[in-house]
Amino acid sequence: MPKSIHIDRLNLAYAGKSIWKDLSWTIYPNEHYVLGGKSGSGKTSLGKYLAAHHDAVYIANWYQFTNLEGDRNFYYQQRYNRHQGKDTLTVRAELTHYAQKEGLDIRDIQHKLQAFGYEEMLDSQLIELSSGEHKKLQLIKGLWLKPTLLIIDEPYTGLDKQSRKVLNEWLDELATEGVQLILITNDEQVPNSINSYAHIVEGKLVREETQDALIQDAVRQQKNIPEFLKVIPHTDHEYMFQLKDVHIKYGEKEVLKGIDWEVKVGERWLLQGANGSGKSTLLSLINGDHPQSYGLDITLFGKKRGSGESIWDIKEKIGMISPEMHWYFDQQATVWHTLASGFYDSIGWFIDVKFQEKKQIEELMNFFDLTEYKDQLLHSLPLGKQRLALLARSIIKNPPLLVLDEPCQGLDYNQARYFNDVVDELCQYGKTLIYVGHYESQLPKGIDHKIELAHGQVKAIEHNIENVLK
Amino acid sequence: MANYFNTLPIREQLNQLGIAEFMDSAEFADGVEALKGKKIVIVGCGAQGLNQGLNLRDSGLDVSYALRKEAIEQKRDSWKNATDNNFNVGTYEELIPTADLVINLTPDKQHTSVINAVMPLMKQGATLSYSHGFNIVEEGMQIRPDITVIMVAPKCPGSEVRAEYLRGFGVPTLIAVHPENDPQEKGWPEAKAYCVGTGGHRAGVLKSSFVAEVKSDLMGEQTILCGLLQTGSILSFDKMVEKGIDPGYASKLVQYGVEVITEALKHGGVSGMMDRLSNPAKVKAFELSEELKDIMRPLFQKHQDDIMSGHFSKTMMEDWANGDANLLKWRAETGETAFEKTPAGDVKIDEQEYFDNYVLMSAFIRAGVELAFETMVQAGIKPESAYYESLHETPLIANTIARKKLFEMNRVISDTAEYGCYLFDQACKPLLADFMKKIDTDVVGKNYNEGKDGSVDNIKLVQINEKLRNHEVEVVGRKLRKAMTAMKAIKTV
Repeated sequence: MPKSIHIDRLNLAYAGKSIWKDLSWTIYPNEHYVLGGKSGSGKTSLGKYLAAHHDAVYIANWYQFTNLEGDRNFYYQQRYNRHQGKDTLTVRAELTHYAQKEGLDIRDIQHKLQAFGYEEMLDSQLIELSSGEHKKLQLIKGLWLKPTLLIIDEPYTGLDKQSRKVLNEWLDELATEGVQLILITNDEQVPNSINSYAHIVEGKLVREETQDALIQDAVRQQKNIPEFLKVIPHTDHEYMFQLKDVHIKYGEKEVLKGIDWEVKVGERWLLQGANGSGKSTLLSLINGDHPQSYGLDITLFGKKRGSGESIWDIKEKIGMISPEMHWYFDQQATVWHTLASGFYDSIGWFIDVKFQEKKQIEELMNFFDLTEYKDQLLHSLPLGKQRLALLARSIIKNPPLLVLDEPCQGLDYNQARYFNDVVDELCQYGKTLIYVGHYESQLPKGIDHKIELAHGQVKAIEHNIENVLK
Repeated sequence: MANYFNTLPIREQLNQLGIAEFMDSAEFADGVEALKGKKIVIVGCGAQGLNQGLNLRDSGLDVSYALRKEAIEQKRDSWKNATDNNFNVGTYEELIPTADLVINLTPDKQHTSVINAVMPLMKQGATLSYSHGFNIVEEGMQIRPDITVIMVAPKCPGSEVRAEYLRGFGVPTLIAVHPENDPQEKGWPEAKAYCVGTGGHRAGVLKSSFVAEVKSDLMGEQTILCGLLQTGSILSFDKMVEKGIDPGYASKLVQYGVEVITEALKHGGVSGMMDRLSNPAKVKAFELSEELKDIMRPLFQKHQDDIMSGHFSKTMMEDWANGDANLLKWRAETGETAFEKTPAGDVKIDEQEYFDNYVLMSAFIRAGVELAFETMVQAGIKPESAYYESLHETPLIANTIARKKLFEMNRVISDTAEYGCYLFDQACKPLLADFMKKIDTDVVGKNYNEGKDGSVDNIKLVQINEKLRNHEVEVVGRKLRKAMTAMKAIKTV
């Protein structure tokens, strides 16, 4: 007989600020919740609290894996560096090990692996997975357990459209089998079984009749973009980059199969494709992270790749953000350090910040409303704020080329819109843009070209797009 | 070939031993310029070879790999490492004659045969680089006089060299030029450029000499780094089992404890490690380590003396000639110890518990680090060199024990280090027999603070703290660590 879950008068404070004030919540059987609301309102903490005090499985908004020695000292380019030592388990070994530990049968999820397009990944090492594929693995492991209470923090982060559909169907299936759901998200495309909505308002849990009634972060007040970002970067080449018939192979496995792609200075491109279609690998050829780019026909900023340039010469011209970079970012960097490291393209480390640079950091922190967090560790902030800090880092040096790989992951609708408006404004000042995003509703308006990948090949290229948001 | 060091007059011996200068970052202002456009050929594509090559290429330099014909034909791992990353690969005959800089990154033991194969192929006036000076100093390899001989030795495993570079940082590095082989005086500019190419200039560079590097490296690895970690681990485990502690727990406490405890050295040196203990535990660890230092000092001195006189390398090379008979026998014996054969238990041990329940290891580490450092400095090695070869490397070696115990440590380190490690271990265990008789589970296996009220004699504590903090290894360590800022968080297992 399912029982109700009661939470009675919880209090939580963080850094001297009260988050929950006598928060109480009763969750009745057959209720499936979306827990939404403002960032920093204590949603994630509440999910973790529930999981710790009740018989529940909690799937975090952050995935982790270790190498065979239990170590986590990875760097984000490691995916692309090949060496013969096997550092991490394969997906198959990981799932087998997990099944053994939890007393599960791998045959039970065979069709789910198929639905997620995961079968061809089984022999890949964990280090080789893209961020979207890691997210799927994390979800598969959690859902497989069929717990009585399943709490998922940001279930859709980094998932492509198809995977999101598969996830929702699986969640509905579990709901009919008696699994109770709590999804912590502000996303609107939730499973049909969701029938209850709640958010935390002024420290208390408040139920609402519809998801629309959940409070989103306020639309931020428009601020003027700092002057230094209005300077049009100097370029003396027609093309930002040109890739010709680019192939990338890992042993027998070919992940990019003859890519041709040319981007002219000032163009604003959208790069799309399913999880695992090769997007991040393609971008790693542009930002100097892929060792195999030597010997390929790649021209960056008017110079043939491998003609004596260093990766630091390349990175200097690119403002970059990606889920992987976020994941591997220095755990000990403060928000201020994070921004400062953007001048040196280092991960949280820098030499000596000059007076002018300090001023730019200040202006940009103010612009993104980050000033009050400047001395806090990046990883101690809500995910959305971390993202904003990394975005600020990516534009701090006013680079000619912006490479934004799913920059709005972890941001809610209003935050994403705000950020994309900023991107549009930056593009008015001569920046070239490569933007990866899964949802048309979350894109900068100014995008005028589009490239789509499927299975490591170019599926479509569109020029002169009028309105990408259509 | 005669031992190079022993052919030198005493004044030149002291001169070369005493080269240790922490370099100012301004010395690297020319970046990789001295090697720009030059052809760099790396011999060997293991962990150091591959990762250094990736860094050098990413710094805008022209890198290829020369491998032996069989390695290419049989598509061995070294061949795959290089070709999978789109490097140009060829045989010695194909590539060496084109090289301006040949970087030898093969294992120590192969140096003589590699150099004998490579040297005749090298073009007039080219440069040859080593990452360890044993071949030059102990084996007395003579390099053609037109060739420049340099050393660039990152003081971290190859994987770290790559990871830190890509983070925009680097690992501490030691560089040297062999005074007998610098005909065009291009040794230093090239060594510096190579160092910049690997990112080392961002983490602190020590200007050294082949002699100083070898004599300090051998001493460090035989005593504190490998020898004492092995002896301390085995004695600790056996003691716990003898006293009835669960073997699974004992195995885990030792295997991971060594790593967790020595991690603290990275941030705060010996005193930082000791500060992790409660006051009473610190006093106890201090007293134990004082006693350990007195007992082990003659053994440390013997090792340093044998290294300086060349006796160590002579006997080891005799064993090489004898098909590694001793090495293989001792390796097998280590594989048979109870510690090695008892798997770590499935118990959770918190980070602090490793300190509280294993006071003895902190005592071993303090005694070993200070003794190795003191002995090296007394023998004419400069404190900076001695620091790198004692305190700095201890956590790196401890990390290998955490992976797969002593077997793994001895697999990862060079055969030279392994040989010296066994020599030390065999002599040290009997030396500590009486000491270990007095040891009980309060300092190894159980929480030392249990049942104690935490109070200590304040004056005594002040004196102990003073003694720890003012030791020369701490003074020089603070200076050197400042240059290596980006340190990683202490790990818990």
